[in-house]
Amino acid sequence: MTHWCTLRQLVVTLVALAVVAGTPLPGEAQKKGGIIRVGNLGEPPALDAHWTTASITETLTNHIYEGLYSLGDGYKPIPMLAESLPAVSKDGLVYTFKLRQGVKFHNGKEMTADDVLASLSRWGKQSVYGKALFAQVSEFKVVDTYTVEMKLKEKSAIVVISLAVPNNFGAIYPKEIADKFPPQEKATEYIGTGPYKLAEWKPDQYIRMVRFDDYKSRAEKPSGYGGGKTAWADEIRWIPVPEVATRVAQVETAELDFADDLNLDAFDRLKSSATARPIVSRPYYWLVAVFNKKEGLMTNQKLRQAWQAAIDIEPIMKNVAGGKSEFYRMDSSLAPVEIAAWHTNIPGLPWNERNKDKARKLLQEAGYKGEPIRFITTQEYKWMYDFALLTKQQLEDVGFKIDLQVLDWATLVKRRNNPKEYDAFTTGMGVFYDPTHHIYLTASWPGWTSDEEILARQAALARETDPKKRMELWVQQTRTFYEKVPVIRYGDLFGLRAASKKMRDFNEKTERIRFYNVWLDK
Amino acid sequence: MTAYLARRILALIPVLAVVVTIVFLLIHLIPGDPVSVMLGPDATTTQIEATRQALGLDRPIWDQLLTFYGRVLRGDLGQSYFLDRPVTQALWERAEPTMVLTLSALLVAVAIGVPSGIVAGAYPGSIWDRVLMTTALLGVCIPGFWLSLNFIYLFAVRLRWLPAAGYESILVDPLAGLRYMVLPAVSLGFSQSALIARIARSCMVDVLAQDYIRTARAKGLSQAAVIYGHALRNALVPVVTVIGITMAILIGGAVVTEIVFNIPGLGRLVISAILRRDYPVVQGVVLVTATAYVLINLMVDMIYAFIDPRIRYD
Repeated sequence: MTHWCTLRQLVVTLVALAVVAGTPLPGEAQKKGGIIRVGNLGEPPALDAHWTTASITETLTNHIYEGLYSLGDGYKPIPMLAESLPAVSKDGLVYTFKLRQGVKFHNGKEMTADDVLASLSRWGKQSVYGKALFAQVSEFKVVDTYTVEMKLKEKSAIVVISLAVPNNFGAIYPKEIADKFPPQEKATEYIGTGPYKLAEWKPDQYIRMVRFDDYKSRAEKPSGYGGGKTAWADEIRWIPVPEVATRVAQVETAELDFADDLNLDAFDRLKSSATARPIVSRPYYWLVAVFNKKEGLMTNQKLRQAWQAAIDIEPIMKNVAGGKSEFYRMDSSLAPVEIAAWHTNIPGLPWNERNKDKARKLLQEAGYKGEPIRFITTQEYKWMYDFALLTKQQLEDVGFKIDLQVLDWATLVKRRNNPKEYDAFTTGMGVFYDPTHHIYLTASWPGWTSDEEILARQAALARETDPKKRMELWVQQTRTFYEKVPVIRYGDLFGLRAASKKMRDFNEKTERIRFYNVWLDK
Repeated sequence: MTAYLARRILALIPVLAVVVTIVFLLIHLIPGDPVSVMLGPDATTTQIEATRQALGLDRPIWDQLLTFYGRVLRGDLGQSYFLDRPVTQALWERAEPTMVLTLSALLVAVAIGVPSGIVAGAYPGSIWDRVLMTTALLGVCIPGFWLSLNFIYLFAVRLRWLPAAGYESILVDPLAGLRYMVLPAVSLGFSQSALIARIARSCMVDVLAQDYIRTARAKGLSQAAVIYGHALRNALVPVVTVIGITMAILIGGAVVTEIVFNIPGLGRLVISAILRRDYPVVQGVVLVTATAYVLINLMVDMIYAFIDPRIRYD
C-alpha cells in the first residue's frame, strides 16, 4: 500500500512538474534569440525622430533612441533616461532633471548632460512638440555631468508630457550628431541608447536592428512604452510589404512574425489561421472631417453646425468597419477611452444628433444657396474614402451639395495647406496625450482654427498646472468644440494587426507597436 | 551595318531628351509635394515651407529643369529625397531583381507561347488549336494581380510549396532565389505568353499557305520536316519582334508583379517614388527604362538580319 502511494505521489509530482514546465511563467520562460520579422506598409522618410511626425518613423526610432521620459501604462509620463520626475522650483519656473548614470550610446560613449542639451535644443527647433515646449523656455543649461536645468518664462503644464510623447520625440543623440545636423536637415547617422541598434538599412527591402548588448535597462517592470526593456530577439527585421493582401499571406505562411495595418476583411481568415492570430489595434484613429476656416464656405459656423447636426454616425462607422462591431466605438470624447486622464463623458453634447430638421434650419440660417462644397479625400486609405462617400450621401439628403474630390494622399496633404483649394478634408486623429497636443485646435495646422475662445483656452491649458483645474478647462473646451465645430468628430475606428502564434509578451494595449520585451517561442 | 548602327544610336539622343522633358514636366505638374509626405501628417505649414526651400523645390520649374539637364549630361541623376543615396545607386540596386524577373518571365512566356502557337498554327481548326487559343485568350484577359494573389493563396498559403513573397539574389543563394522567383515568373510569364502564342499561330498559318510549302509537301517531305525545316524559321521573324516588345514591356511593366510579390525592383521603386513625389527617382527610372526600351528595339532589328539573311540594313 505504501509502495502504491509512493508511486501515485511520484506520478502526481511528475505531472505537476510537466504542467509547470509547459506553462510560461512571467519572467521565467522567456527565450533569447531569433529574428522578429515585421511586415509594414512602407519606407520611413527618415530615422531622425526630431525631424518628422510620420508614424512609421515614430515606431522604428523608438527602438533605437530614448528620451528623458516615456509613457507608461495608461499613457502617463514615466522616467526613461531621466532618473525620476523633475524637481520643480516653488514658483514652478525651474525644472531640474537628473540623468541616469552609466547609460551608454551604441557607439560606446556614456550619455551625459551635454548630449541632452544638444539633442533637446535641436528637437526644440524642429519638432512640433519641441517647438511648443521651447516657446516657453527662457534658458536651458547643463548644471553638471548628470544634471540639466530648464528655466521657463511662465508656469507650464506641458514640460514632462512634451518630453514623454513618442511621436516626433525628444530622442537623445550623442552631442556630435545633434550638432552636426542642423534642425531642418534630417540626421543620417543613427546612434541612440535604445535596446536595439540600427545594423543595416536597405530601402524597400528591410531595416535590420540588432540587440545592443550594453543596453542598461531600468529596474522597473515593463510599462506601456517604457519601464524595463529587454531585447530578447537577436534581431528585428522591418520589411516593407506595400500590398496588404501579401502581408496577410506572409504572416499566414510564417514568412512574417508580425503584420501591421491590415484590411479589416482579413479578420475572419486570421481567426482560423493555424500560424497567426489577429490583434485589434486600439486606440487607432477617430475619423474626422476638417474644415477650412480661413477661406470659403465653411468659415460660416452655421454651415459647420448643420453638417454636425445632419450626420448619422453609427451607420457610417459600421460600414467603414466592414460591419464588424469589434472595429468601431461610438464616443464623443476628444480623447479616446484609453487616455484615461483626459477622456470625458459629457451628456447632452450635439454629437451624432441625426436631426435633419435642425440641419435644414441651420442651412437656411447660414444663407446657404446650394453652392458646391469641396470635400477632398483619398482612396489610399479606404476608410477615409468610405466615410467621405457616406457623409456626402447623408449631407445631400438635407440639402448640402458636396463636390467630393478623390485625390492621392500626397496631393491631399499638399492641397490641405492651401486655403484656396478646399472646404473640408478627411483624415484620422491618432492619440494625443495632452489637451495642448490636439493639433486641430491650433491656428498653425491645416484647417486653421483661429477661434479666440478656443485658442485662449488652449493657452490656459498650457499654463495651468493643477490637474483638477486642467480637467475643468478641458471639459469647457469640449463644449466649445461642439458649439464652434472646427472639425467633425465621427466615431473611433480600430485597426487590425496579426502576430505569429509563437510571439509572446507583445503589448497589445499601446497605439504603436514595440518589440522590446517581446520573445519568440520555438 | 556599322553606319546604320551609329545612325540609330545617334537617334537615341533626341528621343531620350523628349522623354526626359515630358516626364519632368508631368511629375512636377501633378499636384502633391514630397515635403508634406516626408514631414508627416502633423507638420505645420511653416515647417513645410522651410524644408521646401532647403530642397530647392521653391525655385521656378524651368530653373529646376535646367539644373536637371546639366546633371544628366554629367551622368548624375541627382539625389533621392527619401532614400538618402544617389539615384544611380538606387537604380543599380534595383536592376538585378528586375532583370532576373524579366528574364525568367520571358523564359516562361516563350516556353509556353512559341510551342503552343506553332502547334495551333500547324493544325488550325483542330481541338488543340481551340484549347490552346482559348487558354491564350484567358491569359490576356485575367488581370495580373488577381492571378498573382490566387497563386499566392494556393501555392503558398494552402499548399505551402513556395514562399508567398520576397526576394533572394540568385547570385547569393541560387536555390532560394529560384524558389522565390517561380510564382512571380509564372504569373507574369503566363499573361505575356498569350500574345506570343497568338502571333506565332497566325504567322505559322500564313507561312503554311505559301507556295514553297506546297512545293515542299509535293516533294513528299514529312509533316515534321515541312514544319521545322521550312515553315518555322520564316514564321519566327515577327515572333522575335513580339518577344522583343514583351521584354521591353516586362522591364517597365512588371510593376504589379513586383508589388504583389514584394520584389525590390525598378517597378516597385518607381511606384513608391511617384507616391512620395521623389522626383529625382521617378526621372531616373524613366530615363533608364526608356533607354532600355530603345536599345532592345535596336537589338531586335539586328536579330532580324541573323534569322532572315534577306534583310540588310545598308
